[in-house]
Amino acid sequence: MRLELSDLDRDGALREAAAALPDETRKDFLLRTLAGGGAALAALVLAEPGRAASKSDVEILNYALVLEYLQAAFYTEAERRGALRTRTARETARVLGAVERAHVRALREALGTAAVARPFFDFGGTTENEPAFIKTAVAFEDLGTAAYKGQAYRIDSPALLAAAISIHSVEARHAAWIRYLAGAPPASSAFDEGKSMPEVRKLVASTGFVVQGPRTKARAEPRFTG
Amino acid sequence: MATRTDTAASRRRFLRLTAAGAGTLTLGSVLAAGVPALGLSGSAQSRDVEVLNYALLLEELTAAFYQQALARAGLSGELREFAQVAGGHEREHVAALRKALGPKAKKAPRFAFGKAVSTPQRFAATAVALEELAVSAYNGQAANVSKPVLVAAASIVSVDARHAAWIRAIQDRRPASQAVDVPKTRREVLREVDATGFVRS
Repeated sequence: MRLELSDLDRDGALREAAAALPDETRKDFLLRTLAGGGAALAALVLAEPGRAASKSDVEILNYALVLEYLQAAFYTEAERRGALRTRTARETARVLGAVERAHVRALREALGTAAVARPFFDFGGTTENEPAFIKTAVAFEDLGTAAYKGQAYRIDSPALLAAAISIHSVEARHAAWIRYLAGAPPASSAFDEGKSMPEVRKLVASTGFVVQGPRTKARAEPRFTG
Repeated sequence: MATRTDTAASRRRFLRLTAAGAGTLTLGSVLAAGVPALGLSGSAQSRDVEVLNYALLLEELTAAFYQQALARAGLSGELREFAQVAGGHEREHVAALRKALGPKAKKAPRFAFGKAVSTPQRFAATAVALEELAVSAYNGQAANVSKPVLVAAASIVSVDARHAAWIRAIQDRRPASQAVDVPKTRREVLREVDATGFVRS
């Protein structure tokens, strides 16, 4: 193998992303991105309140945040309950939970005071039953991929677009991974179509996972997210 | 780098496109139009063409790789299924990009994969590398293209990301461990492509 992909020349890639930015934000973008080991995630921080983010971008980031809250809470709860039987399912919950929590943190940091509060969730036992967990995870990750894709072209800020598209492909990896575990085709079509905000909201509402407040039958443990 | 005029012209055209279809820009509408018909300003169009031809090279490369691997690498079971499915997708990506580019599409180079298609193990390692490279390449161009081309590219990159995760999972390598897929510049990607020695003309 002569192909060597292990070492990333992050400076170069980010410089190209930064080239699309207005002068005043470019220097800051590079400094922040290079300073943080989190690389592209730091690009989200550009959308500081009172800074570049348009009203529409704030709406899109909050929409993404709710989806990330949902995913993070789901995996974190599955991990904490410890009811998944196989090692691979437990590892998946652990790794995906950590990644989705990182997405939550990045989006919250980007939104600052404009960030919406975390809703209450009730996953109705899907975090405690392995087949239900896997089935739900497949649905979440496919939905996450389609949701980011459906918004990518609506994002005004090039820096936010670059960050969102780099999260988008990670959601697609998650979808393929969990589909592989489920014995479903990891990539079932040559093209993934995006979903619009109303389509995604309708699907999320149909799950009943987002609830008005803590249910009285709430289990002993608190629910966790990043 | 986009000028304000380019952006405004691109946005006007984009709004016309979206008005046609329930407010959502779809892959189908982009491909049906094709880049020259998108009515973008000169510089926006030439940037789209440049990026799409760059994507086309990567898709031609991976499509040819799977084709030669299926013929020579002695693939069976999961690896064979993966090569067939992913290879089919790459051929569809090539066709879509050629359609979008129309007469501006570059001719496919000749490829030779040598030892990379000599055993299932080498095939799998190279498949990971090529799919990862494609993901970082597309992600690196997201902010450089017009909105319609972004829609098309986004519908391809997530499929390449699925391929990357799939072939990793088959090899018991973790399919996703980072919170973001770090983008790469065109120069970095082309340097890596050069280093493979796979492109012969």
